[in-house]
Amino acid sequence: MAIAKAERLMNLALCLLGTRRPLSKRELRGSIEAYLEAGNDESFNRMFERDKDDLRELGLVIETVENLEGEPGYLARRDSNRLPPVSLDAEEAAALGLAAKVWQQARLAGAASGALQKLRAGGMPEAGDPYEGQHSAIEPRIPVHEAAFEPLMLACRDRRPVVFDYRKSNAARPEPRQVEPWALECWRGHWYLAGYDRDRGAERVFRLSRITGKVRSRAGKYTAEVPDVVTVRETVASWAGEGGERSALIRLRAGAGYPLRAKATAVREGADGWDELEVPYGHGLDAWLVEFGPDVVVVEPADLRADVVDRLRAVARG
Amino acid sequence: MAANAIDQTRRMLSLVTYLRERPGAHVADVARAFGITEDELISDLDVLPMCGTSFRGGDLLDIDTDGERIWWRNPDASGESTAEPLRLAADEATALLVAARAVATLPGLRESDRDALLRATAKLEAAAGEAAGASSRLSVTFESEGGVFADVDRAIAERRRLWLRYYSPARDELTERTVDPIRLFAVGHTYMEGWCHLSEARRTFRLDRVAEIRLLDERAEPPAIEPRDLSEGLVQPAAEDPEVVVEVGPGGRWVAEYYPHDSAEERPDGGLRITLRSPDPASLRRLALRLGRDGRIVSPPELAESARKAAAEALAGYGERI
Repeated sequence: MAIAKAERLMNLALCLLGTRRPLSKRELRGSIEAYLEAGNDESFNRMFERDKDDLRELGLVIETVENLEGEPGYLARRDSNRLPPVSLDAEEAAALGLAAKVWQQARLAGAASGALQKLRAGGMPEAGDPYEGQHSAIEPRIPVHEAAFEPLMLACRDRRPVVFDYRKSNAARPEPRQVEPWALECWRGHWYLAGYDRDRGAERVFRLSRITGKVRSRAGKYTAEVPDVVTVRETVASWAGEGGERSALIRLRAGAGYPLRAKATAVREGADGWDELEVPYGHGLDAWLVEFGPDVVVVEPADLRADVVDRLRAVARG
Repeated sequence: MAANAIDQTRRMLSLVTYLRERPGAHVADVARAFGITEDELISDLDVLPMCGTSFRGGDLLDIDTDGERIWWRNPDASGESTAEPLRLAADEATALLVAARAVATLPGLRESDRDALLRATAKLEAAAGEAAGASSRLSVTFESEGGVFADVDRAIAERRRLWLRYYSPARDELTERTVDPIRLFAVGHTYMEGWCHLSEARRTFRLDRVAEIRLLDERAEPPAIEPRDLSEGLVQPAAEDPEVVVEVGPGGRWVAEYYPHDSAEERPDGGLRITLRSPDPASLRRLALRLGRDGRIVSPPELAESARKAAAEALAGYGERI
């Protein structure tokens, strides 16, 4: 049976961490059983390169140093690979334990437990039972259902330009977009990407669920500067109609439309079974008001009233 | 299972450092400390004796278990390579820091928990050094109603029944109910799962739809039920629920993003024909009205008819005709 990959990676890590002088590929091949069984030079080389990448992914800093004959040697120095002392008390350890359970995405869930295990190996105290009433009972979960998440997360991390097909909310067909990805943000359970759109020459926000097909990496560097602070949420909130500066006056049947009442800036109860409300008028208010059917009548402004009547007419005609 | 090999290697590297300090450690304790099952730990202990700095030199890790306790007989053979835990990788720092920051901003969280999260975050940022940088590329915001959150949290801790005035969008109405809270969770929005005495069933309540909440002096006695799996979508239509067919144009494609559905066929105009299921199709009248000219309900016909009637009645309120 082939030697398991975890065993091979573990051996390579121990060799590189244990040595004080750079080890050549030949020496490593002679020390690790899986490499002896790897077959010819080409398949060994391929395996070795991939294994080094995997260990770097785990955070190992592997240096390449040429020896006197110009042959490359490898080592992972203790001082560049050591976790500095972290002194966490039991409360802080419990807090991190809660945070580590949050991810519902395999890669980040694995990374979070890995981090916790490193801290544990470094002496982090064990938390007591979190359900004894001393801590919030909250179970936070970060949903990641979008296939584009992982490639974009890596692209943001490594600053790699990407290309993907994107279908705008009201577009019939997806279009290819060339983007320099800056940051990902999850709001109300959905993921968004902010980045520089090369074709449009400006910052854009993309909703990950509207990316169709694969995210492909492009070679080369970013052409636009990455801002220090990326504000995805403000953009998305304005799509969602929040932060509208105008105000609308509506009549609402008594007892109906609780969410409209909760958002209203003023409510006047009427004697005729209808109340008058002032609500913020942002993007999408017309579609929302139509949901309440005959329980809402728009008084002003006229453009909103006309939009709502238009929508109602479309539904009434079937 | 390449991702698993990476996770296992990462875990084994921490495990050897941990075991070095604890000769004769108990399998159960180590598994709990590492957040893994005893079986996972045993499979790591099967691999470790094949590892070392050279398979020829006889310096393989001599780690042994009888299923109860674990002994490492030659901790010095691996030299300094296992003496200290390894630095955090960028993904590891990101995963913990982003999650901790997100949880710390939840309105309604107990201040002692928030403080502990912020202290831990600061220490972690310092320990991660450069690796912490990548964590600024991800952020998560949970939505929550702070006051309602704190009341539900307290009710769970004190095992008390709750009284709610709760908004149901399907019927556009507020109902009063008593609920025995079971758990509080956040997936984008924040929710309470509880036993609802009005519907005599388990229900999930979104906190931003709670119009009013009071802790009662009665003891909560929810029946023992299996907690739901939060990795699944929150709305899980049942196979026996009636089918609803919606046809949308390009402007109504969002329906497929928001409603769990059985199928969504592409239409020549760039729209979709979406088949979904609902326990209560009448509740989808809101959707029909919202769609306007971007789509229409195809079936059931009663639903399509009720939307048309509602729209006609609404138009009458404007003194307009169809």
